[in-house]
Amino acid sequence: MSVSDTNLASAPRRANRSSESVARKVARNVGVPVLSIVLLLVVWQAIVVGFHVAPYIAPRPYQAVLAVTQNWSTLWPLVLGTIRETVYGFVAGAALGISLGVIMAKVPVLQRLVYPVLVLSQAVPIIALAAPLVLILGFSVTPKVVIVAWIVFFPVTVNVLDGLSHVDQDLVNLARVYGAPRWRTFVQIEVPATATPLFSGLKIGATYAVTGAIIGELAASDGSSLALYQEHANTNLNTAAVYGTTMLMTVIGISWFLLVVGAEVFATPWQRRTVARRSWRRVADQSEGDSAR
Amino acid sequence: MRFRRFASLATAAALGAGSLVLGAAASSAATKTITFAYDFPGPDFELTPVVVAQDLGYFKAAGLKVNVSFPPDTSSTTKLLATGSADIGFLTTTDMGVAVNAGAPMLSVANYSMRNNWALFAKPGTKLTPGNLTAALRGKRIFSYGDTWTESMLPFVLRFAKLTNQQVKIVTAPTGNDLTDLLAGKVDISTSTTNYEIPGFQDSGTKGREVQLLGTKVGAPDIPVWVYAVTRSYAASHGATVKAFLSAVKKATVWAAANPVKAAADFSRAYPKSGYTNAYNLEGWKLTIPFLTNAHHQYFTQTNAQWSTLAHALKSINLISKVPAPSTYYTNKFLP
Repeated sequence: MSVSDTNLASAPRRANRSSESVARKVARNVGVPVLSIVLLLVVWQAIVVGFHVAPYIAPRPYQAVLAVTQNWSTLWPLVLGTIRETVYGFVAGAALGISLGVIMAKVPVLQRLVYPVLVLSQAVPIIALAAPLVLILGFSVTPKVVIVAWIVFFPVTVNVLDGLSHVDQDLVNLARVYGAPRWRTFVQIEVPATATPLFSGLKIGATYAVTGAIIGELAASDGSSLALYQEHANTNLNTAAVYGTTMLMTVIGISWFLLVVGAEVFATPWQRRTVARRSWRRVADQSEGDSAR
Repeated sequence: MRFRRFASLATAAALGAGSLVLGAAASSAATKTITFAYDFPGPDFELTPVVVAQDLGYFKAAGLKVNVSFPPDTSSTTKLLATGSADIGFLTTTDMGVAVNAGAPMLSVANYSMRNNWALFAKPGTKLTPGNLTAALRGKRIFSYGDTWTESMLPFVLRFAKLTNQQVKIVTAPTGNDLTDLLAGKVDISTSTTNYEIPGFQDSGTKGREVQLLGTKVGAPDIPVWVYAVTRSYAASHGATVKAFLSAVKKATVWAAANPVKAAADFSRAYPKSGYTNAYNLEGWKLTIPFLTNAHHQYFTQTNAQWSTLAHALKSINLISKVPAPSTYYTNKFLP
């Protein structure tokens, strides 16, 4: 059987598999996580009910949800505040991390000089850093943004540095042989090669970013914040609100992580497709034709 | 309540991770081991009576071996008691108020202090009197740890000053340090109890005297701040143990009040890594002593009036939903 025969024979099976895989994909990507959350809630409910846990020790899941829904008008501005701190800090941390990673990769002396300091910065317990930051920067959003950025920049820097140091040198040499300038080699070879480790760093940063924002809010806030709302609920033994706000913080964290995953999917199509989309190929063909003329 | 300072978080975390066995008294068949839960994640000088009771053998004589446990945060002592992780606890009266309101079966068995020594503090040279309170607070940044006590007392002060929450800026920092923020000029007014704030100010080496205004002079109710508490079920089943504990602690409190230097040294020896200097412990303990007895020079005795005042105060600021009978909160029947 020739190669083309093989392809023709497998075509219907592939189509069938593709339609199956959509349903399976949905089940796997949405159904399984939802099921695991439902299971978690069931276990939680069973423990609280089965062991007769008093509501001031731990609430039932629906009580935690009610504590959020019934106070939504109060909580929503606080959630927005936490999201704002998270986003600002994440963007600042990512920008700093990428810049540092690139600079350190390009200037080895600087890498040797700065890298130990970066490691040292992460060895400092962030909670110990929060109070001095407040003393220096005040009670506004700034110290929270700095704390988030502090958490986010390190994994980004390390991953970008790692990515840039593992670029295929044959490709770089080939580009140089063809007379590509440095910036073009960087943009077309090094940047794409760094995308995967960069997004790994961003995903790690995204997971911890909300934690940073909450630590910052706990260090000091003038006015109210989600962390202080939770703290007040805790001191007043309102455990339903404590668990409810914890759920909210978790949702913010997961949403932010998923957004970064979405950005990765969009920015690195080659990870999922071995050939470019038809529309992109058309554009590429057209530009090739133009340059040939 | 978080009025403590200078204890490093690391110390607090290390101590909070587990309980500390006070002394190594050989256990005998007659010795009963109990866990005493403090109200703060690390030890400080208010623990002096318990340390002295151990050091002078009062617990042993009462047939007790006492483990001191430090909660992970200042809101967990009630939970430690309610879950049976601790037997006897140290709480603020406002914590008792919200605990009972939340349905926790807590019972205060003795007062630790008898009066309210919570105050407002400002930098040296600042004018802070009942007469100028409105001007002194309007638009100013007031520090709060976000604890139940400060949350309960501040509304009374603001009401006295005829100000609303919107007319001042309340800076809440559960993991912060009121004195550092005050001295650094990050806040205009700090809030704390006198026995913690004044030694902290002295330890800071700042020149001049910190300006203080007692909360009771500007509308705050004059009620005890701290109590010893148990769960109702523990009180019912271990009444003799509660009585033995209070008897030993009372002896120790009387001794420590009469011998503050030795008592502070005892505490410093028992907790050398608490993060506090002996001078701080001594000054703090000395400032605590006047608040340990009532007008009749009695230790520990609780009254209907104090709990009634507390409940009405908490209700008036919507921290609790209803005012229960004073007996819901306390009993004096275990007093030595």
